[in-house]
Amino acid sequence: MNDHAPGQSTTMQSRPNVELMKTELSDPVAEALREKVSVRNLNFFYGDYRALKDISLPLYDRKVTAFIGPSGCGKSTLLRILNRMYDLYPGQRAEGEVLLDGENILDPKADLNLLRARIGMVFQKPTPFPMSIYDNIAFGIRLYEKVPKSEMNDRVEDALKRTALWDEVKDKLQSSGLGLSGGQQQRLCIARSIAVRPSVLLLDEPTSALDPISTAKIEELIYQLKVDYTIAIVTHNMQQAARAADFSAFMYLGELVEFGTTDQVFTHPREQRTEDYITGRFG
Amino acid sequence: MNTVASTTAGSNSSALSRNKLLDNLLRILTRSAAIAVLVMLGGVILSLIEGSLPALKTFGLSFVHTESWNPVTEKFGAAAPIYGTLMTSLIAMLIGIPLSIGIAIFITELCPPKLKRPISTAIELLAGIPSIIYGIWGLFVLAPLLQKYVQPVLINTFDGVPGLQNLFAGPPYGIGILTAGLILSIMVLPFITSITRDVFETVPPMLKESAYGLGCTTWEVVRHVVLPFTKTGVIGGVMLGLGRALGETMAVTFVIGNAHRISSSLLAPGTTISASIANEFTEADGELYTSSLIALGLILFVITFIVLAAARLMLARMRRAEGK
Amino acid sequence: MNNLDMTLYRRRRLKNRAAMVLSVGAAGAGMVALVWILATLFLKGASGVSLSVLTQMTPPPGSDGGLLNAIFGSVVQTLIATLIGTPVGILAGTYMAEYGRNTKLTMVVRFINDVLLSAPSIVVGLFVYEIMVQPMGHFSAWAGSVALAILVLPVVVRTTEDMLLLVPDSLREAASALGAPRWMVIQRVCYRAARAGLITGTLLAVARVSGETAPLLFTSLNNQFWSTNMNAPMANLPVVIFQFALSPYEDWQRLAWVGALLITLTVLFLNIIARSLSKPSGGER
Repeated sequence: MNDHAPGQSTTMQSRPNVELMKTELSDPVAEALREKVSVRNLNFFYGDYRALKDISLPLYDRKVTAFIGPSGCGKSTLLRILNRMYDLYPGQRAEGEVLLDGENILDPKADLNLLRARIGMVFQKPTPFPMSIYDNIAFGIRLYEKVPKSEMNDRVEDALKRTALWDEVKDKLQSSGLGLSGGQQQRLCIARSIAVRPSVLLLDEPTSALDPISTAKIEELIYQLKVDYTIAIVTHNMQQAARAADFSAFMYLGELVEFGTTDQVFTHPREQRTEDYITGRFG
Repeated sequence: MNTVASTTAGSNSSALSRNKLLDNLLRILTRSAAIAVLVMLGGVILSLIEGSLPALKTFGLSFVHTESWNPVTEKFGAAAPIYGTLMTSLIAMLIGIPLSIGIAIFITELCPPKLKRPISTAIELLAGIPSIIYGIWGLFVLAPLLQKYVQPVLINTFDGVPGLQNLFAGPPYGIGILTAGLILSIMVLPFITSITRDVFETVPPMLKESAYGLGCTTWEVVRHVVLPFTKTGVIGGVMLGLGRALGETMAVTFVIGNAHRISSSLLAPGTTISASIANEFTEADGELYTSSLIALGLILFVITFIVLAAARLMLARMRRAEGK
Repeated sequence: MNNLDMTLYRRRRLKNRAAMVLSVGAAGAGMVALVWILATLFLKGASGVSLSVLTQMTPPPGSDGGLLNAIFGSVVQTLIATLIGTPVGILAGTYMAEYGRNTKLTMVVRFINDVLLSAPSIVVGLFVYEIMVQPMGHFSAWAGSVALAILVLPVVVRTTEDMLLLVPDSLREAASALGAPRWMVIQRVCYRAARAGLITGTLLAVARVSGETAPLLFTSLNNQFWSTNMNAPMANLPVVIFQFALSPYEDWQRLAWVGALLITLTVLFLNIIARSLSKPSGGER
């Protein structure tokens, strides 16, 4: 729980995994990866319908994991379990275990607000709040921390810089977030999430509503953010998974078909279904 | 389309021209009906102006700010009813707005899905109850209750508190401005609630989820996301409720006490524009008396028209923004 | 990890708890108001219900009687008001949804109509007094009916337009493609498709005016006796309730409660039928 200067790595125990990422992760298991989130025997129900079947997989600390698969395979559902967003809707329930730093977040006694402050989420469409650009970011910070004005300014600036938005908006911080372009809004939403300093970021098809240029910017951003965050991304776009993710999980009809390094899943899939999907035979 | 019609509906041109005639007839008929709505509004305004001319000529602008209302000396001023109308509506809004928004929050954010419809329907049934029912309920049930239990407490509590002392002074009559305001607050409840609930439901779930995703509590989501997002619509709903409160007649007539004076105490009897008209119009003798009452009606109509028009404009703006 | 301020968080949670409790309380208060009003109505009204209510005229103070003339007057005036207001309203709504969609006239009419929908009804009473009672020189059931018709109109206009707009355009196009002229498309296809909605609108309008008191006070006035003369003052339930409830006589007050119960049951019954006929919202807003 130590305070740290903005922009620095979020934990003090340093491991040289920045180098590792640059060398494209030939054998990540050997590098003593730490499981940030562990999903164990997870089942999920919409009423009586079982949407996820016995899912077990890890999200490694400060790595990007992509959930891929055809629509309706349960990849968004899985993502929404990780911050218990499903709790907003009666009739939806999860069974099994999801451990965040060893602590079961599915525990009914778990504090949802604190949990969600530790796990940021970005959605398919940009969702700027109906307030100024500045307040969009300061809002989340104010929820959990009492921050003096000058530090708040720094935090907002830092979040905007990390999402490469600062230069574009620094002169109009007080104007509405709704006035930005789609790509800018999405980066604002990412900035809003990381300003709270979560340790995990969930991205639910974050580029599906964006043009190619904005998409490229977001992917670039993901690459930079994984230095500090454990990231899970749901995507429809195979190339995006291949480009952005260290690990990939292929899901089909509520089951986890295959999990491995992105390299392995894309070049040497163990399962026929994975290969069929990746080579475009269905989905 | 005409060529198609001519082949199927008989190729003789008489059927064709008959259809054309009927079509034009219906178009003209429906159009005149639509125009009739406008004519009616014009008629209402003109007749009210015409009817209030004698009073307005006699008293001029002083009509609006004169308190005296004396049928014997034929000196009439609208200050007391205008004050009563505004004051009762203000009380209704002060109580009704938080209650309505609270109910809308309950229905959209907290309520188990099974109870959603029954509770919405129950609140809307409040709108179906005729206003005269509120009136007799207010007179026979609420007013005695207030007189016996609530008003003495108010008088004692605020006795000696500067400012509030005068607001809650005097003997507990039961009936009066405060009681009328209370009844009105129940009456506007369904209108404000149903619109607030509807606009709350237009908030994209994803936007709410983003706020929850940051770790917001339900209240914070409502306060910082839902309310700002639906501001225009909520204000529209509130104005619609206000329009209702300003023009409500029967319920108020029963419990206002019908006294043409402005009293500093909310517990004192007073009158509103609509209550004065309802109470006195049939008994008014003399052109000036009748005309003064019609002038009151004109003032009421103008006020409510402005409020309701503003409400409709805001709701329309909300709907347009939603369509984007 | 974050440096979360737990005191701040506890305060936020407390605030949330308080807000939610208040919200539940508000819903509870609304329910209590409804139940309280209805319960009072039943307790006070039901005890006075007897056959004589439906068979006898409104009595002079101190003697037995019923509400027959008032019930009759209310039914007649509401009926005539509906017969006048509904056709005009349906025609106007038809213009707005069919012929004049998106025209300036439609937009203006819609706006004015929405305003009239919630305009104070007592003003309508004054208007009809000015244009009918004064020129004719006396109060009359006709004047009362016209006043109610003016209140029926906006409700019907609004629901007709809403319901016709719900009829899919593909249906209109299909009928037109068969060669049906516009008037026939409207009459045979659109009205038929929107029938439930149109009936709902009419029922809501009837429900709205059957409890209206203010516009009748100085149009149809009241009449102690049985009267079928539309040119004379006619009794009606709301005005009788008003008069009797404010009187010092206990038997009059008892009859007022019975009348109140009757009206409320009728109005709520009409509302519930209207609701069950068509789910989409519309009408009185």
